[in-house]
Amino acid sequence: MKGSFLRKNGALPLILPTLIIMAVFTVLPLIKGFILSFTNANLLNKSTAYVGLENYKKLFTDPIFWLAFVHSLILTVTAVILELVFGIILALALKQKVPGIKLFRSVIMASWVIPVAATAVMFTFMVEPGYGYYNILLKFLGVKANTFWFGSLNLAFPLIIILHLWRNVPFYGIALLAAMQAIPDTQYEAAEIDGAGPIRSFFTVTLPSIRNMIIVMVTIHVLWTFNNFDMVYLTTGGGPVYSTQVLPVYVYQEAWTNYTTGYASSIGTIMFVLLMFYFIAYIRVYQQQEG
Amino acid sequence: MITKRHRKTIRITLTYIICVLAFIFFIMPLLWITYSSFRSPSAILSGTIISPAGQYTLDNYRTILSVTDFPVYFWNSLRIGFMVTFAAMVLSIIGAYGLSRYSLKGKNAYIMGVFSTQMFPIVLLLIPIYNIIFTMGLFNTALGVVLGQLMLVLPFAVWMLKGYFDNLPKEIEDSARIDGCNLFQMLFRIVLPISAPGIMVAAFYSFVVSWGDYLVVSVISQSQKTATLTLALQRLSSSLLLRWGQVAAATVLTIVPTILLFSFVQTRLVEGLTAGSVKA
Repeated sequence: MKGSFLRKNGALPLILPTLIIMAVFTVLPLIKGFILSFTNANLLNKSTAYVGLENYKKLFTDPIFWLAFVHSLILTVTAVILELVFGIILALALKQKVPGIKLFRSVIMASWVIPVAATAVMFTFMVEPGYGYYNILLKFLGVKANTFWFGSLNLAFPLIIILHLWRNVPFYGIALLAAMQAIPDTQYEAAEIDGAGPIRSFFTVTLPSIRNMIIVMVTIHVLWTFNNFDMVYLTTGGGPVYSTQVLPVYVYQEAWTNYTTGYASSIGTIMFVLLMFYFIAYIRVYQQQEG
Repeated sequence: MITKRHRKTIRITLTYIICVLAFIFFIMPLLWITYSSFRSPSAILSGTIISPAGQYTLDNYRTILSVTDFPVYFWNSLRIGFMVTFAAMVLSIIGAYGLSRYSLKGKNAYIMGVFSTQMFPIVLLLIPIYNIIFTMGLFNTALGVVLGQLMLVLPFAVWMLKGYFDNLPKEIEDSARIDGCNLFQMLFRIVLPISAPGIMVAAFYSFVVSWGDYLVVSVISQSQKTATLTLALQRLSSSLLLRWGQVAAATVLTIVPTILLFSFVQTRLVEGLTAGSVKA
């Protein structure tokens, strides 16, 4: 009996410690958060009562929630598309065998490994009016630009997207490069014999071969970008006048600045539902293509 | 008519143009903050790129390291980073090895389950996690932070190492098993040595996530005793008396350890990070 259990479930004792930690620190909190979203929980108030759908009703008429909602969607879609396009361009450049390219490949991913808190400081410093690197550069080019970009209603949101690009594009570039290097040269030679130029062989040979890597990169970056908190929180805090407010930052501020953890949980639950839809759609598409 | 030689010239020119632009965009910010950390306050505020020779100084570093509590935060980040990395490696190595080599009813569901936790909104999870950590008496402790950060690291670490183990040849282990090696002998004598590159990448990933985490630390640990560099950096850069030279020095000191570790693993990094995707 025991022998057959081990044969069927031999992996269980080994993966169990990880499962327990994940259960206590992700699954249980998810359920608790869901329950909290139906209460008036407040960190300053010891008594908590169920209020039914009150939080969700409030949320649907909360203009800041809708702003954050729209911003989160725009940010995720724009950042992921731009990252992919620039990532492919970067990978194509990194693939070329020219002098110095190896060194360049090795340093380009530096932006991905440093803390976001440091990235936030660096970019805030660079867009300072008067002495920031960007503004010095613009002045040099003859453009009058003496604004603090993070403080500008028009520039803050694009700058948040630029921050995402700065951090993630090199990762795309290096990962797609790895996928491109796995393509045998013979495929390109065959395309060339068929009379394909560099652009056509990119679409007929390169792109289909790196398709799987693109899917993996896009999937994880949609999740990471939508859930990303510190890029916005540590630069603009959602401002100026909510122009960069996104859902994770709104949840955080409701919970830890206003202490309304019940309401914060309802926004967090909406975030989870959106990600679920995305995940289910992804699995559907994936299975359709496999089968 | 574009000849082959023309095509090659165009290709090389385009490559260098892209590389130069990429260098300006991705690397210059790092060089700029490093450069600024050695400039005097008046040089930074002058709005010029190059200043007279006398304007360069080590004062920013001297102040950050001796006047502020920066060394305490540095030590906290290091200590917590090592603990998270160690715990994550022990757990994910045995877990991933089990999933890779042994059978389990509904194994794919477990793997999917662990990985799908990546999509849970961490800001939502943190509200109950704060309560759990508080009830466990681990609020404002390093252990509390370690537990909170482990859940950020584990899914990806397990997924990554499982993919790595799947791609290793199994023949050596088979013959070791016939020779009577038990599981732990096998892990330490055979599996760990040959999978060292993959484990290094997973360890690097764990350390970098812990070192860069602001979210979990800001909720679980605000006290002087356990606050980390990211928290200190945020406080320093949002203070009213903003001294950019010192902020720059603090930023450089925060970045340097990750860059140093990165230089050890960089060639293997992508191979390791994407190992799971080859055979998910």
